[in-house]
This record gives sequence, C-alpha cells and structure tokens, in this order.
Amino acid sequence: MNVLSSWLREWANPKVGDNELADSLTMAGLEVDGIESVAPAFSKVVVGQVVSCEKHPDADKLNLCQVDVGEGDSLQIICGASNIRADLKVIVATVGAKLPGGLKIKKAKLRGVESFGMICSDSELGMSESSDGITELDDDAPIGQSIREHLDLDDNIIELDITPNRGDCFSVLGVAREVCANYNLSLEMPTFEVASTINETINASVSNTQACPKYLTRVVKGIDNTVETPQWMAKKLTRSGQALHSPVVDITNFVLLELGQPMHAFDLSKISGNISVRMANDGEKIELLNEQTIALKADTLVIADDANALAIAGVMGGMGSSTQTNTTDILLESAFFEPVSIAGKARNYGLHTESSLRFERGVDFNMTHTAMQRATQLVIEICGGQAGDISECIDDSALPALSPITITKAKIQKILGFELEADWIEEKFTSLDFEISSKDHESWTIIPPSFRFDIRIPADLIEELARLYGYDKLPVQKLSLDANINAISESVIDKYDIAQGLVNRGYQEVITYSFVSEQYQDLIDPSAKKITLSNPISADMSTMRSSLWAGLLQTVESNQRRGHTNARFFEIGLCFEGIKAEEQSQKIAGVITGNRFDDQWSNETQALDFYDIKSDVESLLSLTTNTFTFKAAEHPTLQKGQTAQILLNDNAVGWVGTLAPHAQKQLSLSKCYLFELDLASIQQGSVAKYHAFSAYQKAARDIALVIDENIPANDLITSIRSLNQTYLVDVNLFDVYAGENIESGKKSVALNLSYQSVEETLSDDQVNAQVSEVLALMQTKFSATQR
Amino acid sequence: MINTILDQAKASIAAAESLKELDDLRVKFLGKKGELTALLKGLGKLSKEERPKMGEAINQAKVNLQNLLTDRKNHLETLELEKRLLKEKIDVSLPGRNVEMGGLHPVTITLNRIQSLFAKNGFEVEVGPEIEDDFHNFTALNIPEHHPARAMHDTFYFDESTVLRTHTSPVQIRTMENKKPPLRIIAPGRVYRCDSDITHTPMFHQVEGLIVDKDANFAQLKGLLIDFLRAYFEKEDLQVRFRPSYFPFTEPSAEADIECVICGGEGCRVCKKTGWLEVLGCGVVHPNVLNSVDVDAEEFTGLAFGMGVERLAMLRYGVNDLRLFFENDIRFLKQFK
Repeated sequence: MNVLSSWLREWANPKVGDNELADSLTMAGLEVDGIESVAPAFSKVVVGQVVSCEKHPDADKLNLCQVDVGEGDSLQIICGASNIRADLKVIVATVGAKLPGGLKIKKAKLRGVESFGMICSDSELGMSESSDGITELDDDAPIGQSIREHLDLDDNIIELDITPNRGDCFSVLGVAREVCANYNLSLEMPTFEVASTINETINASVSNTQACPKYLTRVVKGIDNTVETPQWMAKKLTRSGQALHSPVVDITNFVLLELGQPMHAFDLSKISGNISVRMANDGEKIELLNEQTIALKADTLVIADDANALAIAGVMGGMGSSTQTNTTDILLESAFFEPVSIAGKARNYGLHTESSLRFERGVDFNMTHTAMQRATQLVIEICGGQAGDISECIDDSALPALSPITITKAKIQKILGFELEADWIEEKFTSLDFEISSKDHESWTIIPPSFRFDIRIPADLIEELARLYGYDKLPVQKLSLDANINAISESVIDKYDIAQGLVNRGYQEVITYSFVSEQYQDLIDPSAKKITLSNPISADMSTMRSSLWAGLLQTVESNQRRGHTNARFFEIGLCFEGIKAEEQSQKIAGVITGNRFDDQWSNETQALDFYDIKSDVESLLSLTTNTFTFKAAEHPTLQKGQTAQILLNDNAVGWVGTLAPHAQKQLSLSKCYLFELDLASIQQGSVAKYHAFSAYQKAARDIALVIDENIPANDLITSIRSLNQTYLVDVNLFDVYAGENIESGKKSVALNLSYQSVEETLSDDQVNAQVSEVLALMQTKFSATQR
Repeated sequence: MINTILDQAKASIAAAESLKELDDLRVKFLGKKGELTALLKGLGKLSKEERPKMGEAINQAKVNLQNLLTDRKNHLETLELEKRLLKEKIDVSLPGRNVEMGGLHPVTITLNRIQSLFAKNGFEVEVGPEIEDDFHNFTALNIPEHHPARAMHDTFYFDESTVLRTHTSPVQIRTMENKKPPLRIIAPGRVYRCDSDITHTPMFHQVEGLIVDKDANFAQLKGLLIDFLRAYFEKEDLQVRFRPSYFPFTEPSAEADIECVICGGEGCRVCKKTGWLEVLGCGVVHPNVLNSVDVDAEEFTGLAFGMGVERLAMLRYGVNDLRLFFENDIRFLKQFK
C-alpha cells in the first residue's frame, strides 16, 4: 500500500518529518518498506513563458527562444525540442540549477549563440523514464514560480507493507487512524451528505445475506463522463500508484484509497431489470473488465441483473455493464461482503484486485453509507448529474458481531512480564476507538470498532497495548534455566559425528533439492512410487527423491563441468517413499569419483575403485558395534558384479557399488562409486561394556586355501566364525591370489587365524586341534584344498 | 719401555680414521697378544721389589689407553652419525602425503552453531516430516482455509490436503501432540516455498523454537533472542530491535531486526539504507494453537520464534547470493571451515 504523505497529512498531521513518521509507523507494526520522493532533488527550476521562438541562425534543429521567468529581462535560451513554440508555459532550469543525475546548468554557447538556461522535460527532472519533447505546463501556471511548488513535488510516497490482519490500514483513513493513535492526535471525520434530487432507485435484492449483509445502491443521472479528472485527484491517484481511467472510475478508486471502501459504478442503461446479489450458476459466463471471459463456479457471489451476472462480488466488475466516456446514468454500489465468502475467490480465477484484497481482509461495515455519500458528492462535483436516494439491503443479524472482550490487568502482566498503568491502558484503548463498555480497577471489557477484524481475544488487546507502548521499550528478562539436565543417549550416534567422520575421510557435504526431475528419479529408482508435486516450479523439480543419489550425481556432473574431476561428496537428508510421515526417512549417501588423490609428488596417480568407497562405508558402520554384512546383489543404478547390498540383522539398510555404465553414459559422468544407508541403521549403537583382555600369549596360524573363484571370500570367514571356537579371537584375510600355480577357475585365499585363552598360554596341540577343525570345515563346505 | 708403547699408541689412536682401525689398535695394544699384555706377562721376570711398581705402571697405562680408545671411538661415531644424517636430509617444506579433509556445508555449520547455542539454554532438538498434512502446516497453526496468510506462503501441493511444509512450525504441533509441557525445543530443517528468483530458492532452512511454560512471557522471549543474536554474531553490544508484526500462530507477534552487520548501521545496500536487518519472527503462541493440541492456554504460555538459516549464514559469512547454497560448487563449499 502506497500512501502519499501530503494526502495522509490532510487527515493526520503530526509535527514530524516524513522519515520520523515512517519510523514510528514501522515500530507500530505498519512496516515501511521505503520512502520515495515524488521527484528527485533539484533546484533553481521555475515556470517560464516562451516570449518568442525563432530558428537558430546556424542550426536547423535548434530554436532561439526568449523566455520570461519573471525576473527582469527575458532569458535567451537555445532549445532543440520540436514542441517548443511562442506563448508556451515551460519548465526552465536557470543558470546555477542542479538537476537530477548531477547536471549543472551553466551559461553556454551553442553554435556561436549564447544560452542562459535549459527548457526541461519530465525525464530531465527525473519524474518519468522518458519524455517526448519538453513539458507543456498549464496556461495559468504563474511565471517565475518554483516548479517544485507549482507541481507539489516536495512530497513523499510512503510504501507500507501491510500485514494480513490489518485490512483496515489499506486506506489513507486507516493509516491516519494509526498515526493519530501513535501521536495522540484526534481524527476529524468529515461528513459527506448529498441529498437526493431525483426520485430514482433500482430494485435490489440479496439472496445470500450471510455473504452480503449490506448492499447499498444509488442512481446518479445526467452526468458528463467526458470531463477531465481534476488535477488534485489525478495527482493523488497517480502518485499512489493508481492509473487514471474516466472520472467515474477514478472517483470510485479515490474513495477506495481514501476510505478503504471498494466501490463500483455500473452503467445504468446497461442493466436490464432488477439487481440481485446471488450465488453464480455453475459455468455461468462473464466477461470481466480486464477483458478476460471466465466460467463462474457456484461458490462465487455475483451481482446480476435479470439477464446476466454483471460482476463478481468484491472482486471485479464485468465489461458489459461498465461505464464508458459516453455514459450519462450510473448506478453506484457500496457493499459489505463478508471476508470468508470472498476469501480465495479472486485467486481461484487467477485474479487479484484492490477490491478483493480489502474484502478478504475485512472492510469496515460501518463505512458503507459514508463511502456512498462521498462518491456521490465527488461525482456531482466533477461530472454533474442528479442523485436519487440510497437504497439499502441490510441484514443486521449477518453483520460481524462486535463481541465484548474482557482483559485483566493480571493477564497483561503475565504475558508482557510487567505492569502497565490503568490510566495509560484506558487512554490507549480510547485512542484506538475501542469502546470501553465496563471496567473496574483490575479489568476492562471493550468492544472493538467495526474496522478491526483482528481484535477478537484478550491476546489481541495485549498486542495493541504492547505495540503502542513500543515493543522496544518493553522489558527484557532472562529465561529461567531448567534445573533438569537433559538426557543425552550415549547409544545413539549424533548425526553431526557421522558427518564429521566422512569429512575426515575427505568428503564434502552438499545440500541438494529434495525434488528432482521425473527422468532422474526413474533412472535412479525406477520401481519407486512416484510422489509428484501438483504445482512444481519446473519439470526439473517435480518429483520427490527416494534416494540422495540424484542430487549427488548432479553435483558431480556440475563440478566436473567446471574441471573438478576428483571429488568425494555426501549428503544427509530425508528421502520419500510416500506422503505419510512414516514414509519419510533420513538417509546418508556418498559418491566418489576420479583419482584417490590429487596429483602430488608423493603419490602415484591411482584411480578410485569399489574398495575405496567400501572402506568409507565400513568406517561409518564401525561407529557402532553392530555387525553389518555385504551381500552381492543387483541394483538398477549400479554395475552388475560390483554391487553390494548392506544388511543389518538380515534387514537391507543400504547399497554400495559402482555406477552402472548405462547411467554413467546417460548422465555424461566419469566413473563414480556410490553408497547409501538408512541413517537410523548406523545411529543406534550401545553403551560400551568393558571386557577383560588376556594376559597370555596369542598363537597365530596362517592357512592358504584354494577354492572356486566364485565363492565370496567373506563366506569363509563367516563360516569359521560360526564354529564358535573357544580360543579363536581373530580371522584376518591377508591375501587373495589367482594365476600361476593355481588351477584355472580357482583362487587362493590366505587367512591368518589368532588363538588365545584368558586362562593360560595355549599349547601347540590345542591350537592345532582348532586349526584342523577349521580346515575340515573348509574342505567339506567349500571343497577347499590347502595350498 | 711402557712410555714408548704409550706414546706410540697415543699417536696411532689419534691417527685412526675408522672404528675398524681403532679396534685393530685395541687388539694390538690391549689384546691377549697385545704389547701391554706382553709386558704384564713379563712381570714374573722382575724382582719382588720392582714387580708391584711395574705392575701398577702397566695397569695405569692400560686404563689410559682404554680411555683414549673410548674417546676416539665416540668421536668417530659422532662423525659417522653426522655423515649419515647429512645423507638422510629431506626437504621438510614438501607437502605431507595427500589426504585432504572435506568439509560441512555452510548451512549445516550454521545449524550446528544455532543448535549448540540453544542447547546451552536447555533446548532439545525435534524434527518432523517435510511432506506435511494441511492440519499440521496450517489449520493447527490458526491458519484456516482461505486465510490470506495461506496465499502468502506460496505452498507446494501434492493434493488438496498434502503439502511440502512451508515452515518448521508444524514441528511445534507435532511436539506438543506427543510431549507434555513444560517444553523447550528447537526444530531445524528444510522448508519449501513455490518461489524462485534472485532472493528466493524453492527450498531453504529454518530453525523453529518453542517454549511452553507456566511463567513464560514476552519479556523472556525478548531476552532470549537478544542473547542468542549477540552470541551468534559474537558481538556483545549488537543492537536488536523488536517490531510488531503478524503471524497467525502468535499473538502478540514481533519481528526482530539487528543493526546491519555489513555497514554497522550506517545504511547500505544490504539493509536498504535503513541500518536494520530483519532476522527473525517471534511471538506469544496464539491460544488457538495451544487449544488445538489440548494444552491449557490459561495455565501455560507458549513462546515461539523462527529464523531463516541461510539468511543468518549469509550475514555471518558475507555471502551475497542465496542461490550459491544449493549450487554446490566446490569452490564455494570449500570456503567454510
């Protein structure tokens, strides 16, 4: 909402400058976004009259003018504008003038002829973007008068950011009321009574009085809509950001800005029969003032005549019944539409109007009549004509109830943390037009005014008092600290510690969008349920991710494009299997690509491989003592034969593998390795429990087994452990070999077995017995031969 | 005779250039067949009177010789060591073997910082789903259907009653549904708005805070947030101001501004020449919100606040373009450690 300072000050004029006024509004809750001068600063620019205008002797396109600026002899000024002519009243920047943009006017010589100033256009004064020739002033402009004074340029536009609860402040009157409350001024509400001079009304009826409790109409006949909107009104409208149309429309816009009451004027001659305010018929067509034809829905309130819908109530008028310059008879409408019945209607049709903005938030239902009088007065003053009586359809029972609210001093103190003086409280309620209907020393019952739709409960009153007191002056207290020490579970690994583990291994954390393109989602997880937004920003961000890999691979791709070919990235975030809360779970995923290290003097260049990322995953899995297993498996995004599913107690909790060649090609990536884990699976550990360690010597035995090459090496270890041998403390796989001296199709696996007792040093016989047991098992289970 | 041997030995030892040479000298003079040993063996041929005197002289010579040998040996060993060290000298200015540290995303760093500051005041972290239902995102927060505030939220929808949460405030509701007051929580997380331009990304992060207590009041809320902002920016005298504002779920509602940390309050482009920067919204929880989760609004008062994490990160680290946070350019990410 833009409020012109001079207009506001006609209603409320505190003795402070505009900057201070704006600050006080901001601190009272009407946030000022900015103060714009209607024209930038300039000086020594005055009204002049061209006395004579001749061609410059040496330049075809220049004119030699004598200009009267009201100071002794006329000034000789060279001017190149095509619209310059004798007798014209013009804007003259005299010698010494400083114009916006830093231009200084000096005495100059143009093609040998002296010039003592410059004749200006609006754009040269920074009042418009561009101008066609010099500005032509009215014939009655006083010669010599400062242009700033002549055009009222020392004025500011105050840009307010009005919150949705303060619909009452979408008008000069509304902002003026706030200013008065802030500066303890009283607001004089003028009266605008226009008696009827003709006996003309139109029959109007309201079928849904819940949606339209008040509907006022007035006929005005014999107006002249061809006249020009007067300068004083045009200036106020344009400077407030409202474009000019015809006088009648400008008047309704003026009343809307002045009093906050949206008005509408119909061309009376285009109304057939009676007016009815009713719900639209489903599919009923209307061509709106913006030339858009829409099919109405049955939940929309319309103004109709006997034939058609004429307007969407509280939103926009129709083209068919609109006033034109040749309109002579009009029907003025001033109504109160109930906010909830208007809310969302404009948006449903893709509309947003000054009218709907106000009705949705609440318009003062005691302003309907005043606004009608004001509009009539202006129409007759500007366009002439004769007004009939105001006809009213009012259902008092449907008007918003102004219910009394009781507030106690104790409650104010409880919420604000300090005590306010009773006198001060009453003074402030009164300044806000709150009626105090009863009071004692400890409590007040107030009735809010009809323009305040946001005052319903005691907390609303407390906010009013607090903001008039000044939020900044309210006391500051310490939050009392709880005596309890919050429990911190030691068996749950903090997300931060998990992230830090990867950071220490060279991973950079990224945060990517939770929505990806459908194609990406398909590529990563073709079997996942599609969760798509009904109103995405773009197709690239339409589908909720079920895996973090899409964002990670995109990150690899964009960084590769910029030349960063070695990278390790990870992300932690929610992934989505459905829209229910329990179908959204945190995952942690990583990608690595390129070489193990950047080229460096001490390292040979080595490409990353599966076992690099597997070791990173193993580092995460070792944050708890839980036993995870890796099982060869297949995944649509991962390369066959280089993919492992990660299991915790037989539950699949993640994947690790090499990006499949088809995906790699499709995404134009170099070789990538990926992992993903359910975050919860690595977070739940247990509190450490100490076990005594053995004081006796450990015995170690190496065995080399030749087995079929397709047997996963880890199966040997798992089987050995499953023997639950008394003294076995560790199995370590230290070599895998295939090739010379090994039968084709076989491989040799070398294991180191460690045996130890907590009670004694083991004898060779004891150890050998256990090793034999292992070898026997290997033989029967895997047909392993000892090498 | 002894002196002749001793002089000869001294000269030889001093001239010895290697440990091997030195050892040969030891054998030559002190070994079983050495010259001094030979003298000892010859003692028997001497008279009773001469024998002890001569014996002592020979032993003294042995001790002297042994000392000379040891000194020379130490000397030679030191020389050897120095030679070796010279040979083993390396260029310590060369970089260490390459294992580069990664880093956390600046939003995570900021979230961690915010969380730890509030943790010191006894706040627990709560989280919630990002795909939310209409009830938790709007209705329970006193934003009924058709409320103008809904339009302000630029909501992403899945269907009529399922949205991507537009703020972290639904976590307030979920927490109060499951836990009884007194409560003191913060809820960090991703939020979504259907808006994308220079100053908006369709996804960003918020931290929500909620206190529900019998004696909670607006003055405490002010105190807490002033303390927090001063601690976050590490500036004890940071100016903070509170302005009335509007949120459907708080009443009274406020927005907090800090003095512009870019220009120090002088007025610049970042603060739009006002000297102030809006950093968070807060207020006393609206009774309708407490009622929607069966908390007695007469008995308990709620205080709530919410802040944009990217905004705080931008001001703290001087980042001038919001979109950088989600482009994940490694040149950007690497700067935050």
